[in-house]
Amino acid sequence: MPHLKAAASRTLQLALVLWAVVTILFLMFRLMPGNPMAAYIDPTFTAEQQQALMAQFGLDKPLWEQYFIYLGNLLQGELGQSFRYREPVAERIFTLLPNTLILTFSSLIVAYAFGILAGAYLAWRRGSAVEKAAIPLVLTTRAMPEFWLGMVLLAIFSFWLGWFPAGGTRPAGASYGSLWALYTSREFLSYLALPALTLAIYSQGLPLLLMRSNMLDVMKEDFVTMARIKGLSNWTVVVRHAARNALLPVMTSFAIAVGYQLQGNVVVETVFSWPGLGRELVRAVSASDYPLAQGAFLMIAVVVILMNLIADLLYAFLDPRVSHA
Amino acid sequence: MPDVALSRPGLPARMFRSLHLPLNDRFALFGLAVYAVFVLTAIFADQIAPYDPTEILYTPEYDLAADLRPGEDGFILGTTSLGRDIFSQIVHGTRSALLIGITAAFMVALIGSIVGLVSGYFGGWIDAILMRLADIAFGIPFLPFVVVLAAFLEPSIWNVVIAMALVLWRDTARVIRSQVLTLRARSYVDAARVSGSSDLKIIMRHIAPNILPLSFLYGSIAIGWAILTEASISFLGFGDPQSISWGYMLQDAFASQALAKQAYYWFVPPGICIILVVSAGFFITRGYENLLFPKLGR
Amino acid sequence: MSGTLLSVRDLKVSYSVGDGKVDAVDGASFDVPRGSIVGLVGESGCGKTTVARALTRVIADNATITGGQILFDGADIAAIPERQMNALRWRDIAFIPQSAMNSLDPVYTVESQLHEVLRRRGGMSARIARARAEELFKMVGIEKNRLRDYPHQFSGGMRQRVAIALALALNPKLVIADEPVTALDVIVQRQILDQLRGLQAMLGISVILVTHDISVVAYVCDKTVVMYAGRIAEAGPMDAVLTRPSHPYTMGLRNAFPDLKGAASGTLTPIEGAPPNLASPPPGCRFAPRCPFAMEICSKSQPSLREMSPGHAVACHRADEAPVLRELAAKTETWLAEV
Repeated sequence: MPHLKAAASRTLQLALVLWAVVTILFLMFRLMPGNPMAAYIDPTFTAEQQQALMAQFGLDKPLWEQYFIYLGNLLQGELGQSFRYREPVAERIFTLLPNTLILTFSSLIVAYAFGILAGAYLAWRRGSAVEKAAIPLVLTTRAMPEFWLGMVLLAIFSFWLGWFPAGGTRPAGASYGSLWALYTSREFLSYLALPALTLAIYSQGLPLLLMRSNMLDVMKEDFVTMARIKGLSNWTVVVRHAARNALLPVMTSFAIAVGYQLQGNVVVETVFSWPGLGRELVRAVSASDYPLAQGAFLMIAVVVILMNLIADLLYAFLDPRVSHA
Repeated sequence: MPDVALSRPGLPARMFRSLHLPLNDRFALFGLAVYAVFVLTAIFADQIAPYDPTEILYTPEYDLAADLRPGEDGFILGTTSLGRDIFSQIVHGTRSALLIGITAAFMVALIGSIVGLVSGYFGGWIDAILMRLADIAFGIPFLPFVVVLAAFLEPSIWNVVIAMALVLWRDTARVIRSQVLTLRARSYVDAARVSGSSDLKIIMRHIAPNILPLSFLYGSIAIGWAILTEASISFLGFGDPQSISWGYMLQDAFASQALAKQAYYWFVPPGICIILVVSAGFFITRGYENLLFPKLGR
Repeated sequence: MSGTLLSVRDLKVSYSVGDGKVDAVDGASFDVPRGSIVGLVGESGCGKTTVARALTRVIADNATITGGQILFDGADIAAIPERQMNALRWRDIAFIPQSAMNSLDPVYTVESQLHEVLRRRGGMSARIARARAEELFKMVGIEKNRLRDYPHQFSGGMRQRVAIALALALNPKLVIADEPVTALDVIVQRQILDQLRGLQAMLGISVILVTHDISVVAYVCDKTVVMYAGRIAEAGPMDAVLTRPSHPYTMGLRNAFPDLKGAASGTLTPIEGAPPNLASPPPGCRFAPRCPFAMEICSKSQPSLREMSPGHAVACHRADEAPVLRELAAKTETWLAEV
């Protein structure tokens, strides 16, 4: 089972990357200008609270010892106390994570469904007027600042036409029995629509261009010509053979796109006041809520690295040349 | 000892040819034209802009010239809520965009090329270390990293340049490295090595000239990235409040309820400018689509 | 059943390249009798693969059949509508490609690729298709438990057997094999050719074997067609062409390849020079620039195909002197002195 071994070594490699990112974060927050304790202790806490945190994070100890305490705390999911919310950072982050993931995945699923179909279509219509016009248009969507696109959509569809709410995830004062009830409600979808559309418009370019260029490559392969010589229908040739093969790298790019999307979320969540990790990171940094900023950054980094790993494993899983080696 | 390099075309000619400037491509020409217009605007910003972009202006009736629509009282694109001339801000925005775009692109291309060169040429443990560093850089979410960096440093547009230099060299380095690996296997490099040329000489003479076009290419893509990143960072409020950039304008508009006021003349033009500059870079490098969107997962 | 299965008449195929066009096949005519193996032989670029592909009418985007007839079972398949042509594909005319590695879809098992033609083209039920797939694997000598494997899990020779099984799936009348053994080593080549020959005889089908290697033709074919620069140079029964080659090009090819049967045939002498650029072919005989026996007329007028003995046709101005030329051609100096 050589692929299992490869997967294991890749997992180990990314675990090391994660460790390195965690360490960089530690150094950034400890070596910041000013009082290093400011990163963990809100000056408005009472003396006892400050003492308790000093002990918990070992802030009175030498740097290397602090580092091991920090690692130990991380492994237990202990990220400190948010200055602003007066609650554990971990708790705060896990309330926000689902919002971010829902926004990310819904927009990416739309973007990939569209991008794959459109990319395959453009490859099929290679050299046509449609293709000549579409490619620069797609490149233009990649050149847009996502938050600006969000602003324009917001100005048109929310403030002018009034079709969608301007921000947040639910009407003011509305409460739902459970998260599930919230996420499946019609109101939630109307709140989700604009931010998800914004991210989808930005994200469709990657799967589209990738699918198109893969299709163009695959269409030149011998097995596609053979499928024609076999007299198989156009649909079978294009979809079952060409598209199926071209899809492999596009599917793996999905996982990587999740990582990229989390970065775009930072601005788009801010535009739409979407209570997710990205917006929280911005607000925490603005308010000098360091523990929360550190926690949010770490969570985003974990998802990015995890998605890189999933991309590798997915590729191995989807390609029989790797999975049946 | 035959000088292998002499038998090959001159350096500038080779470099120029390997750039494959797509001069017969209309979109590429459009991109070059956009670049030219923006560079000229940045140089002559003081002459083109009718007002100082930060000056608070008044109408002839001595009222604050706030939220004027385009054309009102002679303001081409209207004014902001604080009574500043939008057109002048747009014109001056070219300066910070080009400044940040070019410096960041230079840093990214420089660091990426050096890392790629050293890693690919020397191989072994040097390569292993540098590529693990690249892996780590790939594990750092870029925009969140810039935001966190902004928490520790004074608000400045240079944060974006620093962050890009620290993180985004990774893509360039990987591509340059693989290019160097194929170059190193060429016979003229072997010939130079056998004939006793020093590593430095081989790199400078045989390898660097061949990867320069790739460095340029990645640099020009980085210009777009830098401008987009600066816009995002300014929009989030971590930019330099002293300098007028398109991202700052968008943040100003957003915070001043321009969306609710339907003041499209305020927030649409900066976005169009960003799109124009960034897509101009894409169009020029369009022939290199595979480099822009490399096959993932291989 | 005897007679002619396929008759190619004055076939012309051209490629549009840039502004101009290149006649890759310029008036090729030959017959394929029922139940026989016909070798189509020539150097790369002589148009043999283009002929093979034209018979399926799946040709490159920039290629067109510009003239001639392809009479298959009496009908001109160069002229029938695409729908009718598609009905013939694989059911009547199947194809064995050069590299089975690239011509099998890497993401499906070979079973799934067999089922694809059996069910979609053969209209079989899943159950019958399964039985037929096993039967086909048995015919080509592969264990049926390997049906569930992916193409990359087979060796080169095995993949070529899979390609043969695929080609035979729907009992075609004609199988076109395009360089079916080129990528394989000599021992495996012989095994595959033996098998192809055996199956062809057993099933009574016709095979067109396209190859650059005249020794492969010599090993299995009943009849051979020698192509040079888009034209037929010589065609006839295998024995006649091998023992009495009448075109200097055929004589040259004989010298250039080892005998597949393993008998040492002295030194190998390649033909000097390269085939002409078909964008601007030479005016007379296309082989004249490389021919050690070329005379003045050869570079002026095109020789037409003449029948020397029953079924044996040659396109050479000096075909009548063939016995003398053969003796000269057997000497290495003849080929070295020229050019």
